[in-house]
Amino acid sequence: MSISIDLLKHYPWLPSLKIYYSDIATQDPTAFIEEAFLKYPDGELEQRISKIFKAAFNNLEEIKDYKADELNIYLYLIVKILLFVLNNKPISNRVANTYSKQIYKELIEENEDASLYDICKDLKLKFEYLNLPFKYGVNLNKSQREILKTSFKIHFTDYLKLAANLHDDYRKLVHNALSEGYVYVQKKDLIRLLQEYVRRKLIVEEVKDENNIEKFRKNLLKIREFKELYGNILNNWELKKEDFEYSFKISFKEGSDLSNNFPPCIQDILRRIQEGMNIVHTERLFLVFFLHALNYPTENIIDIFSNLPDFDRKKTKYQVEFAKKKEYTPHSCSTLKSLNICKANESKDEICLEGYYSKKLDTQKKLSHPLFYIQLKQYRNSTKNKANKTKIEKKDER
Amino acid sequence: MSDNIFLKRLFQAYYQEKQKEISVVSSLEFREFGFIPWEKQIMIRHIGFESQKVLLSYLIDRGPKHVYSSGSLYLQPEAQHMENKQYQGCDLIVDIDVDHFYTPCKDEHDSWYCNNCETIGTGMQEKCPKCEKSKITKLNWICEKCLDVAKNEIKKLIYDFLIPDFGTDEKDMRIAFSGHRGYHLKVESEELRKLNSDERREIVDYLTGENVSFEVLGLGEKSQMIHGLSKENIGWSQKIMEKVIEILNRPKNEIENMLLDENLFGFTSFYVGSFLNYKDDFLDVITKGERNVWAIEGFGLTNWKKLLRGIVKLIGIELDEPVSIDTHRLIRYPGSLHGKTGFKVQEIKLNELDDFTPLNEMNEKLDPIVFKSKKKLTQKLEIVERALPITKIKGESFGPYVQGDIIEVPHHIAVFLLCKEVAKTI
Ligand code: SF4
Ligand SMILES: [Zn+2]
Ligand SMILES: [Zn+2]
Repeated sequence: MSISIDLLKHYPWLPSLKIYYSDIATQDPTAFIEEAFLKYPDGELEQRISKIFKAAFNNLEEIKDYKADELNIYLYLIVKILLFVLNNKPISNRVANTYSKQIYKELIEENEDASLYDICKDLKLKFEYLNLPFKYGVNLNKSQREILKTSFKIHFTDYLKLAANLHDDYRKLVHNALSEGYVYVQKKDLIRLLQEYVRRKLIVEEVKDENNIEKFRKNLLKIREFKELYGNILNNWELKKEDFEYSFKISFKEGSDLSNNFPPCIQDILRRIQEGMNIVHTERLFLVFFLHALNYPTENIIDIFSNLPDFDRKKTKYQVEFAKKKEYTPHSCSTLKSLNICKANESKDEICLEGYYSKKLDTQKKLSHPLFYIQLKQYRNSTKNKANKTKIEKKDER
Repeated sequence: MSDNIFLKRLFQAYYQEKQKEISVVSSLEFREFGFIPWEKQIMIRHIGFESQKVLLSYLIDRGPKHVYSSGSLYLQPEAQHMENKQYQGCDLIVDIDVDHFYTPCKDEHDSWYCNNCETIGTGMQEKCPKCEKSKITKLNWICEKCLDVAKNEIKKLIYDFLIPDFGTDEKDMRIAFSGHRGYHLKVESEELRKLNSDERREIVDYLTGENVSFEVLGLGEKSQMIHGLSKENIGWSQKIMEKVIEILNRPKNEIENMLLDENLFGFTSFYVGSFLNYKDDFLDVITKGERNVWAIEGFGLTNWKKLLRGIVKLIGIELDEPVSIDTHRLIRYPGSLHGKTGFKVQEIKLNELDDFTPLNEMNEKLDPIVFKSKKKLTQKLEIVERALPITKIKGESFGPYVQGDIIEVPHHIAVFLLCKEVAKTI
């Protein structure tokens, strides 16, 4: 017996994936990813993958618009490949947490036991489903006497495997209803165990020897869309890794001009556009992501590009809107340095060269992201304006 | 030394003569073997055998003092390092050995002396009560009563836990008398083999009940009333409550003695009195099970927990935890001889367990005392240990003896005393 394709689209981590998509399973990952982006050329794949990572980096409990479509299958596989080449334990853990929590939600919302039954079967769990829920106890702690019954019982060996990493006291075998080899479990507890299964499935062991991944990664990064996605995730991570202490609102506001506070790298690109010089593709992307992050209106962004020699309004509009849909994060300083876009040295900019003093950590910290640059600059201006006032305006004091 | 050579020859002869009767352990070629020779106190490990035949010729050739095989299966059992053995899984092993738990008769037959302050004493002792040093030498003796207690633990394990709770199939269970003071039980099933140590610990916790949390099972105080456990909750709650009900139905003086017993509950007579006064009401509440408010004068959460802890001790299995948790342990090979007694590690089927009496077994096929001579041979020995308790084997008692005693005893008793290293041949 194998499960329905619809169930697989909903839960692509199921073992049957290998049967339905045996062509994918045997395919070389590079070819697979190329094919995936060809299949979904409108950016939706990238957008939904980015969403997962963003949700994960923000420690969200859910992934907005998780959909049970075929794309969801490609998405799952690409996320796994991404986690492998990222080779970063904190990232893996966060993505695994967020993704598995979403799966918990999805499973809880299933109305029929049938899906859960099929899933357990597909996972080759040793379990039994009782058409007539079995009464295995009572809960007398409630004001009303509550009968405990369930249709699911799972073999203790599988129970132990699934519950191994969950350390809640009530999940210990000794506190459970064990009879004739089976543990009676409430549906929601069974789903919690499945969540844990999914979480563990997504956690990729960190590979100690980077060289092993390097070659694989190099090949994958030849695919433009993958490279963008990969870079975007790293940039995003860079941005989220530290929670920034000077939190100013840095969104575009009609009438205000943020551009005085732009970092040298952005200033340099803008200057060259103004002078009608051409800029390379990555610079173009960086600028667009950067302005998107500040919520610049699309029209304003397009206008900036109008100075370029090869300007094509329609094409630019499409690209700018496409980039917005992907919800990419602008590159981090380290990425920009490696791309030769960083202008810290040329500009001799103090913030870029020396970073800032973190009150929270009581140390000097390096600047890690150009978006922080704007925040720092604004903060410095605001304290300068207040001349002798010592009070620091911080988010939580406002 | 010459006594060791003598014993080694006896062991060799045993393996030669009984080779057809020595059972084959399952998946023999995937198990690691270990031996302790007579010559040196070392463990020779990481040995693999391709067949029982090769193993037997090894045993006949060397007649080792102790023979062990692994609970684990490996593709390369002979590899020197664990990481190269290619671990495939491990049977669940339970070791029940009176060395590890209290029995009252130990005061009569177990003794110790302190190497530091030379204090002498009897009973179970881990360190010298006088100088607090742990440098004590123990002399643990075989005893029918102790072995009965151990057998009872094995029966509890099988009939109260493995069969009803874990659904273990009788055909997967291998039971053996250890050849000294306990029993082993091995469960061989594919499902259990894949469990790792952490998961095995969960099973051990279930079997001993030691880490049961009464709060998780429902015990608590709400608006100054104690809410207890319910016998309707399958699992440990039910086990505990059934035991409580069983005890409450016993005669009053028996309950009284149990509650006063230091090794079980250890209540003071004040609380025992109160408990006995209210016990019928209490029994009523818990058998009806509609409300579950427990009320006995003077009993707060602390006393209730103390009572339940004692109940758990009665139900739980006294097993040697590391043996069941560790997946790289070696255990005595069935059919081999125990070098500290000269007794056979005797496999027993579940239906033979009830009647089995290792020190006085009538069924010759199951008799661990293999050196009993039909020709009533005797042997002269000199006792070298300062004092020996009575040794009762096959219904006959020998001793007690003191150092320097010259004795003449039947062959199997002589082998036992020599293996115990408390006597020498003269
Ligand atoms: S340090 Fe960062 S913000 Fe400053 S120029 Fe370089 S990349 Fe831009
Ligand atoms: Zn002492
Ligand atoms: Zn005893």
